[in-house]
Amino acid sequence: MNSFEYAMPKRTADVFRALESSDSIIKAGGIDVLDLIKEGIAHPQRLVNINSIDELKYIEGNQTTGVKIGPGTTLAELASSEVLSGSYRALAQAAGSTATPQIRNSATLGGSLCQRPRCWYFRNKDYHCTRKGGFTCFAVNGENENHAIFENDFGCVMVHPSTTAVALIALGAKLTIASAKSSREILVEDFFVTPRENMHRENILEQGEIITAIHLPPAAKNMVSYYYKQKAKQSFDWPIAEVAVSMQLDGKKCQNPRVALGAAAPVPMRSKEAESALNNQEVTIDIAASVGKEAMKKATPLSQNKYKVHIFQAVIKRTVCWASDIDPFA
Amino acid sequence: MNKKWVGTNVPRKEGIEKVTGKSKYIDDLTFPDMIYGITVRSDVPRGTIRKIHFADNINWDEFTIVTIEDIPGENVVTLIESDQPFLADKEIRHQQEPILLLAHPDKSLLEEARRSIRIEVDELPAIFNIEESLNKKQIIYSDDNIIKEYLITKGNTDDVWDSAYKIVSEEYHTGAQEQLYIENNGMIAIANDEEVTVWGSMQCPYYIHKALMPLFDLPAEKIRIIQTATGGGFGGKEEYPSIIAGHAALLARKAQKPVKLMYDRAEDMVATTKRHPSHTRQKIAVDENGKLLAIDIDFVLDGGAYTTLSAVVLSRGAIHAAGPYACENIRIRARAVATNTPPQGAFRGFGAPQSIFAFERHLDLVAKQLNMCPVEFRKQNFLQQGSLNATGQKIEEEVRLDKVLDLALEKSQYFAKKKQFAVHNSQKNVKTYKGVGLASFYHGAGFTGSGEVYLASIVGARLTADGKVKVLAASTEIGQGTNTIFSQIAADALGIDYDMVEIETPDTSKVPNSGPTVASRTCMIVGKLVESAVCGIRDTLLKSNLLTSEYTSQQFITASKKYLEDFGELKIFVKYKPPAGIHWDEKNYRGSAYSAYAWAVYVAEVSVDKYTYEMQVDDFVAVQEVGEVVHPILAQGQIEGGVAQGIGYALYEDVVWRNGQMANNQMTNYIIPTSLDAPDIRVFFSEPFQPGGVRKGIGELPMDGTAPAVISAVENATGKHVCHVPLRPEDLMMLYRKET
Repeated sequence: MNSFEYAMPKRTADVFRALESSDSIIKAGGIDVLDLIKEGIAHPQRLVNINSIDELKYIEGNQTTGVKIGPGTTLAELASSEVLSGSYRALAQAAGSTATPQIRNSATLGGSLCQRPRCWYFRNKDYHCTRKGGFTCFAVNGENENHAIFENDFGCVMVHPSTTAVALIALGAKLTIASAKSSREILVEDFFVTPRENMHRENILEQGEIITAIHLPPAAKNMVSYYYKQKAKQSFDWPIAEVAVSMQLDGKKCQNPRVALGAAAPVPMRSKEAESALNNQEVTIDIAASVGKEAMKKATPLSQNKYKVHIFQAVIKRTVCWASDIDPFA
Repeated sequence: MNKKWVGTNVPRKEGIEKVTGKSKYIDDLTFPDMIYGITVRSDVPRGTIRKIHFADNINWDEFTIVTIEDIPGENVVTLIESDQPFLADKEIRHQQEPILLLAHPDKSLLEEARRSIRIEVDELPAIFNIEESLNKKQIIYSDDNIIKEYLITKGNTDDVWDSAYKIVSEEYHTGAQEQLYIENNGMIAIANDEEVTVWGSMQCPYYIHKALMPLFDLPAEKIRIIQTATGGGFGGKEEYPSIIAGHAALLARKAQKPVKLMYDRAEDMVATTKRHPSHTRQKIAVDENGKLLAIDIDFVLDGGAYTTLSAVVLSRGAIHAAGPYACENIRIRARAVATNTPPQGAFRGFGAPQSIFAFERHLDLVAKQLNMCPVEFRKQNFLQQGSLNATGQKIEEEVRLDKVLDLALEKSQYFAKKKQFAVHNSQKNVKTYKGVGLASFYHGAGFTGSGEVYLASIVGARLTADGKVKVLAASTEIGQGTNTIFSQIAADALGIDYDMVEIETPDTSKVPNSGPTVASRTCMIVGKLVESAVCGIRDTLLKSNLLTSEYTSQQFITASKKYLEDFGELKIFVKYKPPAGIHWDEKNYRGSAYSAYAWAVYVAEVSVDKYTYEMQVDDFVAVQEVGEVVHPILAQGQIEGGVAQGIGYALYEDVVWRNGQMANNQMTNYIIPTSLDAPDIRVFFSEPFQPGGVRKGIGELPMDGTAPAVISAVENATGKHVCHVPLRPEDLMMLYRKET
């Protein structure tokens, strides 16, 4: 670990100043950043701790007005938020199923969106992979059981680790991204960058920019949502497959569904196939199963992860059922 | 002897220090002027070193660099066979082979320096698994790749096959397993030409002591090894710490400064020993009533690149391979083979979990083919008092394994559940298949065969200045409760308060060699010696007329102080004596392999998701006969921990090998069950078979039977015969796919 400067701004405006030098990085909950530094992947000259900025920690609004969330809000706070218990519950479920209680008490929503990949080759200092500037994706011909089953033909087959992003995409959420000079709004699904677009970054944040707010749009009439993940061990783990669904449910009839998949591609992705299979349908177990099948039609699993295709079908089926209050095992 | 302390749940001797964070683990310690070390390793699995290149970007003058030239004595890790060097000379046999050592006052500079060294190697073709080694794809060890081979024969199996009612054959595989103690390995050394002192995390101070004498060419009294608080071992800190201690001391000797050498988790997982992977071929003949007529087992372990402890791991595995069952005709061929992976080593169970998994799984298969209940099938073949086991050892104690079985069946509601699950599994609208499975097994405590005789362990006791008693033993507290049980045993032997017994730090300058802390031997073997040693103290006080036969703790203190006043000090040492009637024929592998066995029956209940194939252990009943239980809570904890580790072995812990080394050497990718993933583990100790306070080891026992019980339950749930662990959901999916 290198020695580095440590900045602890008290206000958002001060963050931008602290971020001016190009080798500074942000620490919020510190969960991922500490790993990255210890693992020799990040070598910051300055660490900017934004965890003490109170104006980044809030959950405001309601289902009618929409909800605005500060990026410094912890996953534990999201998991137990009253505001997120109704139509937006996928976000609370996603936050609540991330990692362990200890980590959820520190990890923030902003940090969850900006995590770096968990690919074991990326995290291992002995592998200089494409994402770290090398010329080989070791996972393609290596151990790839946890890797992408979509978008995996462009030099890096990692899956994006953000669980909250999956729920936010299903809920149609937007981000406010700001720098010292400007600010912009962007859909969460457009925030992430595929290897095809750029191999060396996971999102569009430029140096000096931070996420300053996350917006959930007003809940449409009869909107329901659900998030579920399948993992190798049940106490806490990274997902084998994770799915978030939102839709308007008139009786059992589904409209305007949004289906997002995590641990499927190098970015948290929407499944348009799943959405069109679900749209305007009366939801039943069979329909839910066919949504799972449709979503996986274009999957291109790697040598060791065909199992994930199978699991995604099950997880999508179950999530669609649970969102519609149907017992998938009945 | 009145027992006031043994059998009670006294507070742990070092418990307060641990829970208040006062215990000092190796990485908590610093010394003035201490610098930090790092190991430069091979990155090819096999080859010959041609040249070592140091890149220009580093100021090498600032670093202490140790090469083989800096080794004052023999470059060999003294253990069973002296085949492993501390630093590779010319030959590289595995990817984590240490080649040279670096140290620097600034820890942060080490990693870049390590990367700036390039080892130029003439690479040779390597072999990575049992098949390649047995097929002699390359010869890398001796002239046939065999590290060690045993043959156990009883009766004549060849006479049986032709006339048997049924013969069932199958092959079984078990994977490697990482010990994953909570504290990584680490050592601090101070050394010069005359003497060497090492502090660190370890199980066996005298193993390190023995290895460092030839390395530094120094006599015993010039090498001092001190155990610091140790966060778990499970066998993983049995032999590898000798290498780390040697490395730290070589650096310290060259730098003339204290050197700390700590492994981080990734290095600890990739470079140090693991449980041996195994392949076992089983062939069993039975009559129409299910009596075992012949057992033929071919048991092979992957030993990795050097001998380490493979010969003895193999021995224990072979002796346990036919389980606690009576059979007239047994043939067990056991081989440990060499591969170009880092050497495998000791891990809780020591070969027995591998061979017992294969045998218990195979018994289920035989029962199925006989259309018999697996419980009845086992029960009628159990060893009884007077039976001869596989090595021909006559079981002297009154074995009631059927009673242990009955208790396990009752507590687990085995038969009721089996019925209930059959109904459940036939329903369409349920999420899971459910199943219940069982394993019966025994585990020999202490060193195998003549091992304890060769060890000739010594334990001492002495009076302290304030009239208390201090136990002198090299047996280490590594979380399992050594200090507590020794104090209970000593206090009862002397009839004094638990608090009046102290335990000396395992420091080779202060304690005698009571043998390694392994093989479930600490309570049974060393505990007995502790008893004798403190009795020696009492007898001396009696003989000196300072005590009468009846005394209080206070009177003991008064007498002790008086003795010290008169004579200066009182120290008693006792040496291990083998119990009568124990004979072992090392050449033919016949006789009494162990002086006592612990007996057990474990029952697991699982549910299997019908679609995702996810497996969950819902309930676990562990019943065992271990003789006298010294500390019920610690004993229960040992069993619970072993069962959890066994569940990991069965369902989660998958060491992914790539080019001869562990590819998933991170806890993100190598997953172990947490307390939240573990079921309710219900532990029961059956009434001791023998009266009179016989104690048997329990440390390894729970590791033996858990995986076969869990997989048996999965088989009961799914109907699939599973022949390997770990069994991941995707493996189970493949078993389903294979059939359709």
